[in-house]
Amino acid sequence: MVEFLEVSIESIDQIIHSYECSQRYALAIMQDMQRTYQYVPREGMEALAQYLDCPVSALYAMATFYKALSLVPKGEHIIKCCDGTACHIRGASTLIDGVKRELGIEPGETTEDGFFSFETVNCLGSCALAPVLVVDDVYYGKVTLEKLKEIIADVRKGGAA
Amino acid sequence: MIEITINGKACTCEKGEFLLDVARRNGFYIPTLCHHPGLAEQGCCRVCLVEVVERGKSKIVVSCVYPVERPCEVYTDSDRVREDRGAVLMLLAMRAPESPEIAALCRQYGAIDGSRFKPIQGEKCIMCGLCARACASLGTGAISTVMRGTAKKISTPYDEPSSACIGCLSCVKVCPTSAISFTDGPEKRSIWGREFELVHCRECGTVIGTREEIEYAAKRCGEEPEEICPECRKKKMADVMAHTYGECEI
Amino acid sequence: MEKQILICCGTGCRANGSMKVVEALNEAAREQGADARVIADVKTTGCNGFCENGPIVKILPDNLVYYKVKPADAKEIIEKTVQSGEEIPRLMYKDDTGTRVRSQEENPFYAHQHKVALRHIGRIDPENIEDYLKEGGYEALKRAVSMTSDEIITEVEKSGLRGRGGAGFPAGRKWRTAASYEHFPKYVACNGDEGDPGAFMDRSILEGDPHCVIEGLAIAAVAVGAEEGFFYIRDEYDLAVKHIKKAIQDAEERGIIGESVMGSSHRLKLSVVRGGGAFVCGESTALMASIEGRVGEPRAKYIRSVQRGLWNQPTVLNNVETLANIPVIIQEGGDAFARIGTKNSSGTKVFALVGKVKRTGLVEVPMGTTLRHLIYDIGGGILNNRAFKAVQTGGPSGGCIPESMLDLEVDFDSLAEYGAMMGSGGMIVMDDRSCMVEVARYYTNFLCEESCGKCTPCREGLRRTLEILTDICEGRGREGDIELLERLGHAMQDASLCSLGKTAANPVLTTIQYFREEYEAHIREKRCPAGVCKELTRFAIQPEKCIGCDMCARGCPAYAISGGKKEVHTIDQTKCIACGSCREACKFDAVVTLGRNDVAERGQQA
Repeated sequence: MVEFLEVSIESIDQIIHSYECSQRYALAIMQDMQRTYQYVPREGMEALAQYLDCPVSALYAMATFYKALSLVPKGEHIIKCCDGTACHIRGASTLIDGVKRELGIEPGETTEDGFFSFETVNCLGSCALAPVLVVDDVYYGKVTLEKLKEIIADVRKGGAA
Repeated sequence: MIEITINGKACTCEKGEFLLDVARRNGFYIPTLCHHPGLAEQGCCRVCLVEVVERGKSKIVVSCVYPVERPCEVYTDSDRVREDRGAVLMLLAMRAPESPEIAALCRQYGAIDGSRFKPIQGEKCIMCGLCARACASLGTGAISTVMRGTAKKISTPYDEPSSACIGCLSCVKVCPTSAISFTDGPEKRSIWGREFELVHCRECGTVIGTREEIEYAAKRCGEEPEEICPECRKKKMADVMAHTYGECEI
Repeated sequence: MEKQILICCGTGCRANGSMKVVEALNEAAREQGADARVIADVKTTGCNGFCENGPIVKILPDNLVYYKVKPADAKEIIEKTVQSGEEIPRLMYKDDTGTRVRSQEENPFYAHQHKVALRHIGRIDPENIEDYLKEGGYEALKRAVSMTSDEIITEVEKSGLRGRGGAGFPAGRKWRTAASYEHFPKYVACNGDEGDPGAFMDRSILEGDPHCVIEGLAIAAVAVGAEEGFFYIRDEYDLAVKHIKKAIQDAEERGIIGESVMGSSHRLKLSVVRGGGAFVCGESTALMASIEGRVGEPRAKYIRSVQRGLWNQPTVLNNVETLANIPVIIQEGGDAFARIGTKNSSGTKVFALVGKVKRTGLVEVPMGTTLRHLIYDIGGGILNNRAFKAVQTGGPSGGCIPESMLDLEVDFDSLAEYGAMMGSGGMIVMDDRSCMVEVARYYTNFLCEESCGKCTPCREGLRRTLEILTDICEGRGREGDIELLERLGHAMQDASLCSLGKTAANPVLTTIQYFREEYEAHIREKRCPAGVCKELTRFAIQPEKCIGCDMCARGCPAYAISGGKKEVHTIDQTKCIACGSCREACKFDAVVTLGRNDVAERGQQA
């Protein structure tokens, strides 16, 4: 599992001030926040608006537009199921349904215990291995329902990733 | 100068002038929703589409953002325009079924039949984005477009009352479909989930705006906020003038 | 003699565990005291494009290639192959006739390919600039700085190179226009926001040969007079971002770019911008808005971005694969390049051959290659020898091409003529178990999420198209739906603001054009011929074909199948979720696909 920082004014400032004060770095700065905290915290967006002298709404528009940014913290482990065309043709829907059944959540949601987040993504560029599942940046190719169960069990045991 | 024809009539315009302006100047009315003379063009409602034949090729363009670069023939009501505009209007009507403005446009210009679809209940907004542009150009930036694709909407950050909002109603004034709800009482105004105190003119008592609006305007002009309406301010200025010059013997 | 072991470490091979193979080989080599240089983390890209069979290990100079190598094989590879030159047949590729082949050249997947854009990939270490220089890297840039702008652009024009990102706009003409403006600063940018689901050639090139893309972009900058350039790369492509960043740094340190490009008076600063995760940012004006730090909404392009692009300045934006071809054009001349491919589409094209085809991966072939050659000779035909149904090209902007057009020679114009599109080169093969209505619904749903939502025809048109398609897939289709879909589609083509919206209806319009009867079966008979649309599909086991192997029951996630070993199995329709796992699992074609209304008639059996 990847470690994520607690949100603090100091760490936010550190991220922001590593960039020049220019609108063109707005996306990059928010992406850094996303990487650091696993989401873009509200304090971060407000501090960035102040730094760039732009309305919070302009940043909020970006944060909700770009899929790489999220406004809520995600679970400890992120399961991404690729639903790109190649994966779709090779049974991604069945796999997505499988994850829903196993975790009891819909794509975009996090389990109540905060252990898993589940996302579907459009293409991971690993089409030759379709269908593809990614757990915390570890890729699994040609995933079947059976293999899926094993993968999830492994993550629960703390084995994978 | 470039010579073009609009529905057969010869017209002239400057190179780079937007087609919509040329057409309106020459007496051809083209319907629009997202166009506002005071705000930068977006070309997003697509209602103002027209057919342009240039160098023998016909194409559909959106007149509010189409710069005339060379002679061409323009048709504002050809079969192709009617077909495409009819589809766009139907889509808008299904999107904003509660808007009488859209319904009127549909009747006037002929929308295609949309009875196959489920309209979005209670919706009036057509996502033209004029309100967000007006708010941004004012410098307040309290609202913006949020999300993308079919989920796109207008809101304040986090859907919460915004501290940036000054309750000036600029968004309401530019909205072509009266989609932004607000209430104006004698003392209070509420919009975007926030309540504002209304300030009355200390001379005549008419409402001159919200406290935040007056302070914002004064700050931008580098003046002290004054609780006086433009009419009374004029009158006061005139009194000062009269007083000053009245003393002089002419 | 020193032997080299090249291990493919592209994202695909990494997913198959290549990094562990690297470790194991390193360790085995150390243990054996082998005189071999094991190059780890080297051949990073879509390996050799054959990811499905990764990890791929190549031994030089023997030119022996092993596939699906596991860490446990490492010791044997070192002992036998590296030290004694002995083959390990088990790890070699078995061709269509069952013969084990030694080299890549003998492998039918590679035999028909013609590599230009992928020329270095799988041979060099993308993180090592020396490797690139040894292959003649940056020689083209060196030549370019000694040429005039006009000479460079003339060479690109002569090559006939057209943009590989989708629309196929001539690269030379774009450069010529940008060079003609006297507004400085000018910018160059590389579009690496490969968003087409099902295409991964740009990722492969960025990961596997970053310097060649940098060289291409630097030549563009020199030609048009730009001093700043950007790589806009998809956020998901971690490895690509890492390799490009390292390559930029290495090139700067060596004075290849930076304050002086190759010792000339040209300056060039390059940087990487990570995409925000938005398909629409593949569109040029949206991409530029994103680089500027704004929401990635396109603007009307009546004034092109080559005139008013980044910060309203002249900007040349080229796709990754386009730029990868540039050094070759400068080095070998535009005329030589133009001799490859067809008259109006010169050069090669990299396709991501994926879906229901036996050999999937990245393939580079001359323009004008037929679909049949791609799918059957290179791809080895349809998976499990099922029937070919369609090939989808160009992603969400493209279309589906039916079997009757398998002999179509693929280039920009031929595909466009049939309502499809080259796009970035995704080629998704579908068999008789792919539902064309569902494919159209899939793309429309994708675009509903990925449209920027700015203009009415795209946002609302997609919403309504999806409404109808979902209805059809779920059994609520009506007479007149097909005509309404066509009408909406044409309005979207005409009236949308950007190319995403203008092409968004292509998947729907082409599937209607070529597979209308499949739509009609859904609407009129409430039946999905491919057995994909769950609400319209029932599965049943044909007793005469079932041998009782129990494979279907074991794979059934709903526990809906019963039957003892060696007994005929039956599906309990009340439990069945119509996922189709049983049909995939059955090796005897005993599972039949029925329509929604067929079940009642067939009684308890069905």
